[in-house]
Amino acid sequence: MIPSVAPAPAGSPAEAPAAGAAAPTVSRRPALTRFSGSKLFASPGSIAGVAWLAAMVAASVTAPLWLPFKTEDQDFTAVLSGPTAAHWLGTDELGRDLLSRIFAAAAGTLGTSMITVLVAVGLGTILAMLAAAGGDRTESVISRTTEIMMSIPGTVIILAVIGAVGTNIPVVMAILGILISAGIYRVMLGQAKSLQSQLYVDAAKVDGVSMLGISLRHVLPGLTNTIVVQSALIFAVGMLIQAGLAFIGFGPPIPQPSWGGMIQSASQHVYDAPWLMVPTGAVLALTVLAANAIGNALGKSPNATASHLPSAAARRQRAKAVSAIAAASPVNPEEAPAQDQLSVRNLSVGVDGSVRLVTDVSFDVERGTVLGLVGESGCGKTMTALSLLGLLPSGVSVTGGEILWNGRNLAAATDKDMEGIRGREIALISQEPMRALDPMFTVGYQLTAAIRRLRGMGKAEARTEALGLLQKVGIVDAERILKTYPHQISGGMAQRVAIALALSGRPRLLVADEPTTALDVTVQAEILSLLRSLVKDTGMSVVIVTHDLGVVADICDRVAVMYAGQVVESGQTAGILDNPRHPYTLALLAADPHANSAADMPERLATISGQVPQPKDWPAGCRFAARCQFAGSACAAPVPLLPSGSESGLVRCVKADELAVEGLAWVPTEVPTHRLLDVTPKVMTVEKDLA
Amino acid sequence: MALFITKRLLMALATVLVVAVLAFLLVHAMPGSPGAVSLGAGATQEAIDEVNQRLGWNDPLLTQFVRWLGDAVQGNLGTSLIDGRSVSADLASRLPVTASLAAGATLLSALLGITLGVTAAVRGGTADRIIGAACGMGVALPNFWVGVIFVYLFAVQSSIFPATGYVPFEASPQDWALSLALPVITLAVGGAAFIARQTRASMLEALQQEHIRTLRATATPTWKILYVHALRYASLPIVAGIALQFIQLFGGSVIAEQLFAMPGLGQAVQTSVSTHDAPSVQGVVVIATVVVVAVNLVLELATKFLDPKLRAS
Repeated sequence: MIPSVAPAPAGSPAEAPAAGAAAPTVSRRPALTRFSGSKLFASPGSIAGVAWLAAMVAASVTAPLWLPFKTEDQDFTAVLSGPTAAHWLGTDELGRDLLSRIFAAAAGTLGTSMITVLVAVGLGTILAMLAAAGGDRTESVISRTTEIMMSIPGTVIILAVIGAVGTNIPVVMAILGILISAGIYRVMLGQAKSLQSQLYVDAAKVDGVSMLGISLRHVLPGLTNTIVVQSALIFAVGMLIQAGLAFIGFGPPIPQPSWGGMIQSASQHVYDAPWLMVPTGAVLALTVLAANAIGNALGKSPNATASHLPSAAARRQRAKAVSAIAAASPVNPEEAPAQDQLSVRNLSVGVDGSVRLVTDVSFDVERGTVLGLVGESGCGKTMTALSLLGLLPSGVSVTGGEILWNGRNLAAATDKDMEGIRGREIALISQEPMRALDPMFTVGYQLTAAIRRLRGMGKAEARTEALGLLQKVGIVDAERILKTYPHQISGGMAQRVAIALALSGRPRLLVADEPTTALDVTVQAEILSLLRSLVKDTGMSVVIVTHDLGVVADICDRVAVMYAGQVVESGQTAGILDNPRHPYTLALLAADPHANSAADMPERLATISGQVPQPKDWPAGCRFAARCQFAGSACAAPVPLLPSGSESGLVRCVKADELAVEGLAWVPTEVPTHRLLDVTPKVMTVEKDLA
Repeated sequence: MALFITKRLLMALATVLVVAVLAFLLVHAMPGSPGAVSLGAGATQEAIDEVNQRLGWNDPLLTQFVRWLGDAVQGNLGTSLIDGRSVSADLASRLPVTASLAAGATLLSALLGITLGVTAAVRGGTADRIIGAACGMGVALPNFWVGVIFVYLFAVQSSIFPATGYVPFEASPQDWALSLALPVITLAVGGAAFIARQTRASMLEALQQEHIRTLRATATPTWKILYVHALRYASLPIVAGIALQFIQLFGGSVIAEQLFAMPGLGQAVQTSVSTHDAPSVQGVVVIATVVVVAVNLVLELATKFLDPKLRAS
């Protein structure tokens, strides 16, 4: 009917009529936002919305007490008048007071719109919970039915209903609610199913909780926020549709005021009294706006913060920040590192206007070598790696330091400059190969487009090159793979394609962000050996981010161990693995099941108690002190990164020498028995799954 | 693919059939028998009974429905109780009006909506906020109110467009376009706002996908990332949103037709509901459903074609 019969919640992409299958990726998890009243008062828009709605409800309920005129009172001295002292909002063609008529009609409008809300949201939610609890067959039946409901012209049906039952507004609004419930069901189903499949729901089933009990106790609470959001939006739709029906003559019987009817009679006088359109239209529009504002404030509003391509406005801001850095630290040609050597100096990365995520990180990667960045999740490894390509996510940027590469400081390079470097000199492989490739284009298109762009080749030449690259990364039936879409190949295959893509511009440095984490163990080994042979054949260098010390031992020449945004220890791989100097490195090794040989495998694997502190909680002194078995009072002061004594190694620990002399080991802590159930040991190799 | 099309066709048929039954039942629940409606006030009971008998009103419901369905399949939707004209012929002359209106409004909504939505998502900052506020207004303003204001501004204050009426395309393409302008723009205000929001959300979601980073890492120019890759990824929900919009605009034309005095399906349903003209109501409901379901089917096939995952399966 009027703007929207089927609710497509503002902000969340309406799903295609072809049901959930239309979603292009597998990973679109429904965001389960808990209902929180405070969100209502978080934005000026929703505060105004709540205030307006509350005022409308109060004014309409108390209308009989304060209205200056009766709805039928006619003032023939003031027909079609504008606002006056007697008639604040003016009068209509019969001299009736607009203010009185608007508010006399308000209670009925708001009340009957609530009928639509209750029926639509109630029925939609119940159907969604039924479908989620009832299994595939039930879901299929309900989904087919709602699909039919959504693909019929609702307005026409509503008018036919009016033909049958007359202008009985409550009944009409209830039937409208039934038609709308199909849309609500669509919105709710994904969330209800996701809630229903939670492990604690399985546990409840095992415990013998009934289906109804599960739906009410575990599913319904999780849907609260969506219910409130949809209710607000449907309330607005209900008001608009009701007014629209009254506008075309299907409102309450004639002398009785209704907003739509009043706008209809005002439209007759648009030639001689245009003011008449304003009061009723404004009250209706503001009430709808208020309801929408509440819905949008509570709903999942799409924002650009997680965007991989910052908006134009964000890019302008970044360009400014970059030029500031460039001005602050011009590259000194005498300090410039050798060709193809990466030198990161005192790099800091931070959330714009907020905390720093990486502080004062320095490392070098010599030509043809592999550097491993190791540490738990949340230590800043990935941010460090992405800053090398200028690909930090929106809202995160380099705040200081230098990234020196072939005579340039990449930390101060503009996006334009970086475009010349990305792919051609520095390339990226990311963690989840399936998500790193564009699902809408074939492997062949993605690969040849990159080759043509980065190498300036023609179409046919690029295709030959693409085949060559695929063979180089160990794909046997390259011809076939070129024609496939990413979803048609396995994860290991996709990672090989992603590597081929990274190699397409013949980069001199490869940044690999956990390239094997998402792959199963045998494939991991293959990808690592591929990377190793690529380094040997092409002489490129690699920065590999990993939490897996096995990967480090396997492929890295040097290691930088990161903790809470800092490098805590760095040096030659062999030196660090055999003779760790920092307690964190020591603990990581003790916690790694692979680092201990079967013979001397301890009965209880060591754990590092606690968690990596949030950036806002980083102490001034040693950031690891709170979890360290050897921490003492000296650890409260800031700790510099000092030579560790072994080759070019560096370590950030005041007790490093002491520990080395005493040959201390990180000991497995006894877990108190009463805590056995709820401990989640921070073993390095599993932390990625938890993240 | 063939299986998919067959399934969808069956679904579409089922939808139309369900609506036909629904319409039939609703029409039967209308107050007043066909005889009474047809002869008007003052007719004798004998005359009314005679008409009812002739129309088969007293036959069992199922018989009546089967008879109606049999005729409908052959293109005969009965005759109007009010003026005795063929419902099919009447609706056939009205369909182009509503179709022009709905198609025009959908097209304009889509063009405006996609442009605004992409701009908001891509530019961010102030542009995003301004477009967001405008869309909020567009969704909240009732279209009949907007329509009256447009009439006031563009037809009364300055007579750029005719205020009311419809000129058939065959009569004069130019006047046809002019007569459609105001109703189409009126309907497109809400439609464009809706599609703009949908587009913005889909674009932002597309830009959050990890493959966007891969594209940047291989030096893909920004315009290509935005308008080839991200828009392509976002196209599925956008097309779905446009399909939804068409359904709503097709129904929403009731108001626009009333406001701008256009002889379309909406006007037919409004008049026939007011006059209890059962065959006309039933006919309009079924025709509107057929059109909407058919367009939906086409757009669904388009969606299917757009998504490589679905195309391949």
